[in-house]
Amino acid sequence: MKKYFNIFLLSLVALTSMTMMSCKNETDEIFDDDAVTRLENAKDNFINILTDKGGKWQMQYYSNSNEPGYVYVMTFRTDGSVTISGKNIWIGKVEGESLDVPTYGSQTSLWDVITDNGPVLSFNSFNKYFHVFADPEDIPSMSDEDTDETGYGHEGDYEFDLMKYSGDTLYITGKKYGIDMIMTRLDAGIDDHVYMDEVVAMADSFFNAKIPQVYMNLPNGTRWIIKNGATSILKMFREGDDEISTSVNHNVIITHDGLSFMNPLTVDGYTVQNFIRQADGSLLCRDDNETTITADDLNMVFTTPTFKWKFDLTQMGGVLADQLELLRTDLNNYGKRKLSAIDISYNTDLGCYLLDFSCVYQKKTLHASFYFNAELVGENQIKFNFTGEGNDVSVVYAEKCPAFNSFIAAMNGVTYTLTTSSLLAPVDMKVTDSSNGANYFQCWL
Amino acid sequence: MKKIKFYISALLLVAVSAMSLSSCSEDKLGDTIFPDVDESLDPTSYTYKLDKFLKENYLEKYNLTFLYKMPDVSTNMNYNLVPATYENSIDLAVLCKHLWFDVYDKVAGPDFLKTYGPRIILLIGSPAYNPTSGTEIVGLAEGGIKISLFKVNAMRISDFYMMNEYYFKTMHHEFAHILHQTKTYPNEFNTISIGHYDSNNWQDRSEGQVASLGFVTTYASSEFREDFAETIANYIVQTDDQWNRILDLASRGWTSGNEDDVTSEFFCYYYYPNNDATKDPVYVYEFNVWTEVDEDGTIHKYWRNNTDPDGNRIVVYDVEDKDGIDGREAILHKVDIAREWLKTSWNVDLDELRNEVQTRQATYNINELRKLVTEIQ
Repeated sequence: MKKYFNIFLLSLVALTSMTMMSCKNETDEIFDDDAVTRLENAKDNFINILTDKGGKWQMQYYSNSNEPGYVYVMTFRTDGSVTISGKNIWIGKVEGESLDVPTYGSQTSLWDVITDNGPVLSFNSFNKYFHVFADPEDIPSMSDEDTDETGYGHEGDYEFDLMKYSGDTLYITGKKYGIDMIMTRLDAGIDDHVYMDEVVAMADSFFNAKIPQVYMNLPNGTRWIIKNGATSILKMFREGDDEISTSVNHNVIITHDGLSFMNPLTVDGYTVQNFIRQADGSLLCRDDNETTITADDLNMVFTTPTFKWKFDLTQMGGVLADQLELLRTDLNNYGKRKLSAIDISYNTDLGCYLLDFSCVYQKKTLHASFYFNAELVGENQIKFNFTGEGNDVSVVYAEKCPAFNSFIAAMNGVTYTLTTSSLLAPVDMKVTDSSNGANYFQCWL
Repeated sequence: MKKIKFYISALLLVAVSAMSLSSCSEDKLGDTIFPDVDESLDPTSYTYKLDKFLKENYLEKYNLTFLYKMPDVSTNMNYNLVPATYENSIDLAVLCKHLWFDVYDKVAGPDFLKTYGPRIILLIGSPAYNPTSGTEIVGLAEGGIKISLFKVNAMRISDFYMMNEYYFKTMHHEFAHILHQTKTYPNEFNTISIGHYDSNNWQDRSEGQVASLGFVTTYASSEFREDFAETIANYIVQTDDQWNRILDLASRGWTSGNEDDVTSEFFCYYYYPNNDATKDPVYVYEFNVWTEVDEDGTIHKYWRNNTDPDGNRIVVYDVEDKDGIDGREAILHKVDIAREWLKTSWNVDLDELRNEVQTRQATYNINELRKLVTEIQ
C-alpha cells in the first residue's frame, strides 16, 4: 500500500512540474532581431562591403576540381552593375581564339546580393567572360576524346553563399557545386588589364614546360615531385615512390602573389595551400612559412643531359668577354668567318659536354666543338674541365684561330656559381666565376 | 489491490487529461516579421529604364513580374543554366509586348491577358539541356502562372527563322498551355493521332515523317498536349510559305532505309539509276523537283539539274503514302478544333490572331521597339 502511495506522490510531483513548465507560449529571445531582419541586415552589410572603397575585388574562381582556377577582377557599383575582367584561355575561346592562349576580356553585367538560406552574391545577368564556366554548352577542345559536355559545360557557379568577411577577404562558397573560394579587396586605382597581365606573367614565371619537374620541399626534408606545373593541374607524388600508382592530381590557381591549391593539401602531417612567390622565384608556403617549391639545384638543372644552353653573346663579362672579342677577330681574319652562336650541351654518345661554336663561312655553318666534363660543386656551383679533345673542325679552327684555345683555357677548371631569375623555372642562368665576379656569361634554354 | 491500482491509474489519467485540455492556449499571431517592400525604382540604377518599362508595361498592366535577372532558385536545379544578357533581355521584353501582349490586347481585348496571362515571365540565357535524351527545353509553362523562355543569349535578332522558332513560337506555345490548363480543349483532338505519339523518341523522328502522320512538328508528336500547343503556335507564327510547306510535307508519302529504325532518314522521292526500273531505286529527300507534262499528257518529275550525282538524266517518282493517314487533313482538322475551341471558350479568333502576328512579325523594327526602353526618362 505504501508502495502505491509513493508512486501516487511521485506522479503528482511529476505532473505538477510538467504543468508548470510545459506551456510557455514564447521562447526566450536569443537574437536581438528576428530572422528576416537579421538576413536583410546581413544582405545590406555585404552590399556595403562589396561596394566600399571603390568596390574592386579579385576573385579566385574555380569551376570544378579538374580544372585550374582563374583570377577575375571585379568592380562592384552601387547602381547594380559589375565590371568583370579576366585573362585566361576560355576568354580566348569566347573570342574565337583557336589556340589555348590566355586572352584578356572585360565586360560589365549585373550583380546583386539576394537572400536565400543566407546572403547570396548573385551575378544575375550573363557576362560572357565569367559565365562561360557555368554555360552548359559543349566545351571546345576540352579533351582528346572530344567528350560532349553539352548540358554540363564546366559546371561552374555564378551564385555564391557569402560565408564570412575578415580582413578585406570574403569567404564564399559556390551555391550549386559547393566549392570554397575567396575574394580579396584590391585598391580602387588598380588597372584591370595591367593586373591581369601581371597574373599571367606570374604564371609564366612559375612553371615552364622546359623544366619537367619541380619539388615541394617539406620541413621534414622530404620532397614531393611536381609535374605538369604549366597546366596548373599538378601531378604530385613523393620522391622515391612509384609515379603511376601513387601520383595524385591537384588543381591550383595562379594569383597575383603566388599560387594556391583549391583545397588544403595534407602530406606527411603538413597542411599547405597557399604559396607566395619569393624574390628568388621560389614559392614559400604562407600557411607554415617553411614549405617551399623549387626546381632542382641549379647545377643539376644546368647539367640535365637533354638541355642545350645557349650563350647570350651580348651578356658576357671580364676575361670571357675579352676572349670573345679576340675570337671574333681571329675568325674574321680566317677568311671572314663569323661567330653566330655558342652553346653547351651533353652528348650521350661521347659521354661529355660539348662547348659548341657555330661559325658561318660562305653561308654555311660549321661547328667547332670542344669536349668538357662538368663537375658539380655544392648546390649551385659547377666546374668545367676540358678533356683536351674536340671534333675535327675544332682542331682546325683552334690552329687557325688561337683565341679558341685562350677561350677554352679561360673556362677550364674554373668554378662557376649559377644564379637565375627564377628558382622555379630556371630557364635562364647567369654563370659567374666564383673567385672573380667580373668574369661571367649568361645563357638560356 | 487491483482497486488501488485502478484509482492511481484513474487519477493519472484525469491529471493528464486535464493538462492536455488546459495547458496549451491558442497562440496569437503577431505582426509580420517581413519588412515592407519598397516598390519604387531607383533612378540611379544601371537597369532603371528597363525596370521602369517592365513595371509600367507588365507589372502595373498585367500584374506580371518579368524576371530577367535570373535567380537560380526560380529554375530547376537539375539543369545547368545561365542568366540572360541584359541587352537581349531588353530586346525580348519589347518583343514580348509587341508580338504577344499587344496582339492579344487588340484581338481579345485588354482584359484577356490581365485575367488569363501568366504572372511571371522568366528569361534564361541557355537552353535546358537533357544530356540523356539529347533534347533541350526552350520554353516552359508551369501551372498557368509562369512562363520560362530559354536560350535568350543565342538570340540573333536578324535571323527571322531563329527568332520565330525559339522565341515567338515559344511564347504562343506556352500561352496555349496556360489556356488549356485553364479550360480544357475537346477530347476529340486527342483522338486524331492516337497511337502515333512517341514520348520517348520524338526527337529522333524526321519532320516529313511526322507531318505525314498529322503533326506540325516532331515535338508535336510527343504527346497530346504538346501537339495541341504546337498546332496553335505554329499556325500563328509560321509564315504562309512555312505553313504550306508543312502541309506539303504532310501530303507526301515517306519511306526510310530501315522501317524499324525511327532514327533513320526518311525520303519522299526515288529514282532508278540510268532510269532502269530493274535496278534498286535510290531515295532522295529534296524539294526542288519540277514537273513536265509531255504531249501525250505523261507527267515527268525531274530532280535538281535533271541529273543524278553521276550526271545522268533522271526522272523521280513520289514515294507511295502507306501510313494510312492523310497528314494534311489531320493537321487541318486539329487547327479547326483549336480554332473552334479558342472561339467558344475564349472568344478569340485564331485567324485574326494569326493575321495580326504575321503582320507584326513581318514589319517590326527592333531599333524602334528598343526606344520604348532606351528613351525612358
